[in-house]
Amino acid sequence: MAEPIAQDLVTGTVDVDGTTVTYFTAGKQDSKLPPVVLIHGTAGSTENHFSFVFPTLARDQRVVSLDLTDIVGKPEITVADLERQVAGVVNHLVPAGPISVLGYSLGSVVAAAYAAHNPDRVQNLVLVAGWIKTDTQQLVRQDVQAALRGDMAAYKKLSLVLAFGVPFVAKRTLDDLLTIAPPPAGGMEFIGKLSDLNRIVDITDDMGKIKATTLIIGCTYDMMVPRHHSLALFGAIEDSRYTELSSGHAIVWERPSELALAVREFLANPNAYPAGSIIPEVQP
Amino acid sequence: MSQSQTHNVTDVEVLAIGAGFTGIGLGIKLTRQGFHDFVILEREGDVGGTWRDNTYPGVACDVPAHLYSFSFKLNPNWSKIQAPGGEIWDYLRDCVTDEGFWDNIRLNTDVTRARWNEDSKRWFVETTNGTWSAKFLVTACGHLSDTRTPEIDGLDTFPGDIFHTARWNHNIPLEGKRIALVGTGASAVQVFPELQAIAESVVLFQRSAPYFFIPSGKHQAFTDAQRRLFARYPQAMRDIRSEIFWYSEGNFPPRVQVPKLLEKARNASLKYLQESIADPELRAKLTPNYEIGCKRILGPGRFYATILQDNVTLEASALTRVDGSSVYGANGDGYEVDVIVFATGFDATEPKFASIIFGVGGQTLADSWKDGMKATASISTPGFPNLFITNGPNTSLGHNSAVYIIESQIDYIIDTLNYVNTHHVERIETTPESEQEYVDSVAARAVGSVWLAGGCNNWYVDRRTQRLTVSWPDFAYQFRQENAKFNPTDYVLESVF
Ligand SMILES: Cc1cc2nc3c(=O)[nH]c(=O)nc-3n(C[C@H](O)[C@H](O)[C@H](O)COP(=O)(O)OP(=O)(O)OC[C@H]3O[C@@H](n4cnc5c(N)ncnc54)[C@H](O)[C@@H]3O)c2cc1C
Repeated sequence: MAEPIAQDLVTGTVDVDGTTVTYFTAGKQDSKLPPVVLIHGTAGSTENHFSFVFPTLARDQRVVSLDLTDIVGKPEITVADLERQVAGVVNHLVPAGPISVLGYSLGSVVAAAYAAHNPDRVQNLVLVAGWIKTDTQQLVRQDVQAALRGDMAAYKKLSLVLAFGVPFVAKRTLDDLLTIAPPPAGGMEFIGKLSDLNRIVDITDDMGKIKATTLIIGCTYDMMVPRHHSLALFGAIEDSRYTELSSGHAIVWERPSELALAVREFLANPNAYPAGSIIPEVQP
Repeated sequence: MSQSQTHNVTDVEVLAIGAGFTGIGLGIKLTRQGFHDFVILEREGDVGGTWRDNTYPGVACDVPAHLYSFSFKLNPNWSKIQAPGGEIWDYLRDCVTDEGFWDNIRLNTDVTRARWNEDSKRWFVETTNGTWSAKFLVTACGHLSDTRTPEIDGLDTFPGDIFHTARWNHNIPLEGKRIALVGTGASAVQVFPELQAIAESVVLFQRSAPYFFIPSGKHQAFTDAQRRLFARYPQAMRDIRSEIFWYSEGNFPPRVQVPKLLEKARNASLKYLQESIADPELRAKLTPNYEIGCKRILGPGRFYATILQDNVTLEASALTRVDGSSVYGANGDGYEVDVIVFATGFDATEPKFASIIFGVGGQTLADSWKDGMKATASISTPGFPNLFITNGPNTSLGHNSAVYIIESQIDYIIDTLNYVNTHHVERIETTPESEQEYVDSVAARAVGSVWLAGGCNNWYVDRRTQRLTVSWPDFAYQFRQENAKFNPTDYVLESVF
């Protein structure tokens, strides 16, 4: 059987307004760092998006993650719905004290909203390939993806070349990419609802409320949430610093180690760079 | 450098022992800073270290050369992803020539003793070629430079030729010979296909089966066009470096208790074995009986394809006895051979240089390390002031480039030299507390790792104490984060005034 994503992993569920949400937690017990909560993106899950980041961070601190879950019978899922699932897990596992929150892709929209509404809890915030407001480029890209749903092979190919960075794709075969990208998680219905949510994201009003020490991570070759969105976050969030990593949107599969170590370094010392800094990418 | 009249001792600010990647990298950095008061002593007749000594057929780096080279001295001309050893040797010689510090190197100068003198606060370094005194001493002797050959019963009765991969004798032709190849480590798997191609027969003595990375399917050789692009647009080389570096870092977590990633790595390697070897009996012999990563995971090359050749026999046990020209495995089976090739590696846990370094009160480094190597920031140890140890305790990587670690240690040394110059410090000695804190922090990270718990005998763990003393149990990146800068609070500093 499949092995757990981290040593001594604890799995459980909480009930959020009638929906059962699964969580995972593990990590160093006596750490001085606040626990970090991971929020995955569209078509992802804890395992699907964080099988590298989770165990890496767990070496230094407690890590909490959840699988965002469909709300059966509710045709439209909102950012607030997902935020409530995060709150349900956080309140159950870490009822008090400071926490760090990391969101990836759509998860970073949820993370930013959660941080805006819980400024007393969220001490540090990491937004990976996130955005504030959906724009034309994203809408048109989604239109084309949706139009291809009838042709699964073509849809898959388009998704892969959109997800991975151009230089990464150039050096691999289609088969390579298929082995690197795990199959989508969450079920078709839920993915459909999240895709709809992706089209109407607008958390502009939350930006001013975010008080956390924030790291914005943009991906140089991102075609799904291009880097100008991360730069917009960098401008909008007061106490933020920005770094850009040489990856496509699928950084959790394409450059997981670089991502995990950038996050590890930030969480170990969030104020190492003052607000407004551009943190240069490491040149090994 | 100045010659003091009375003792015929040459004074120098910084003295490094060894002219491999470490000594040469340090030489480049010092020279570029405009600091010329240093000397590098090298026992052999040329620079190059590992890459001068290892000239066996098929020798190459297994970390791609664009990463396995200095970040401050990129080379657009590597012929292959895994460059042949000779190219790396040339690269290192070119480094010295380009940067112009041949005059700071003394070849054929074997250091026999280095003694700390408290009165003058200097190291006195005796060699086969003169005596030096230095304010700072750097051991850049390598951790894979003193060869290890197992004690084999009756080896002295063997009438044929005996080779170690790191001391190849190119004067003895091997065409048509019957060869015993001992070992299945990194060197063995490189030399094996080369020997098979020319020998009458090869019997491979395998004490334990290796795991392999799955082949990348990438074309090995760079084209002229690619090389010209690298020269014209160096960022292309930096992009490759980053790509390989982060890919390699991705191979670290399986070594430290990440069940899912460990399973994934193991399954990939075993699938490659399955696809390569159809015969179940042979496959069983080639299936490792320990956890992946406990020993070095090897580059795939042509190992399995070579095993399948008609003139090859796999002896799945250690070579234990020699009787004349008969060599016997632990299983009792004997083979007639003309040549024995030892690909049995090096002494890394108890480095030889440790017994020639005498610190405060005349104790040797080997004494101080009788329970295993240890050092603050992997570089300095109490009782040995003004000494930098490179490639020593907890510096080895199973998953990424050694040169990355070497550069971090060079940065540490340069940073220290700059600090002591600006602050007029004459003597630095790390405290036992700082060393213990570092040792504990490393040990905590090693708990449950594949090196300690993977069920194999490896050269990363000190056999005397079962402590992980050779490997660095974290990401390479983290080594540089922690250990590339001088931290004065780890030291007692004595100023000139
Ligand atoms: C076959 C082989 C392949 C390898 N491939 C890789 C790879 O792909 N990737 C990787 O990361 N690492 C690899 N390594 C590890 C390699 O050893 C290091 O990467 C690196 O070369 C070490 O450099 P160094 O300068 O510290 O030591 P060395 O290269 O060993 O140089 C030490 C020098 O010190 C000299 N010396 C020692 N004692 C004395 C003395 N008492 N007096 C004077 N001089 C002395 C020696 O003669 C030698 O020249 C490989 C090693 C081997 C053997």
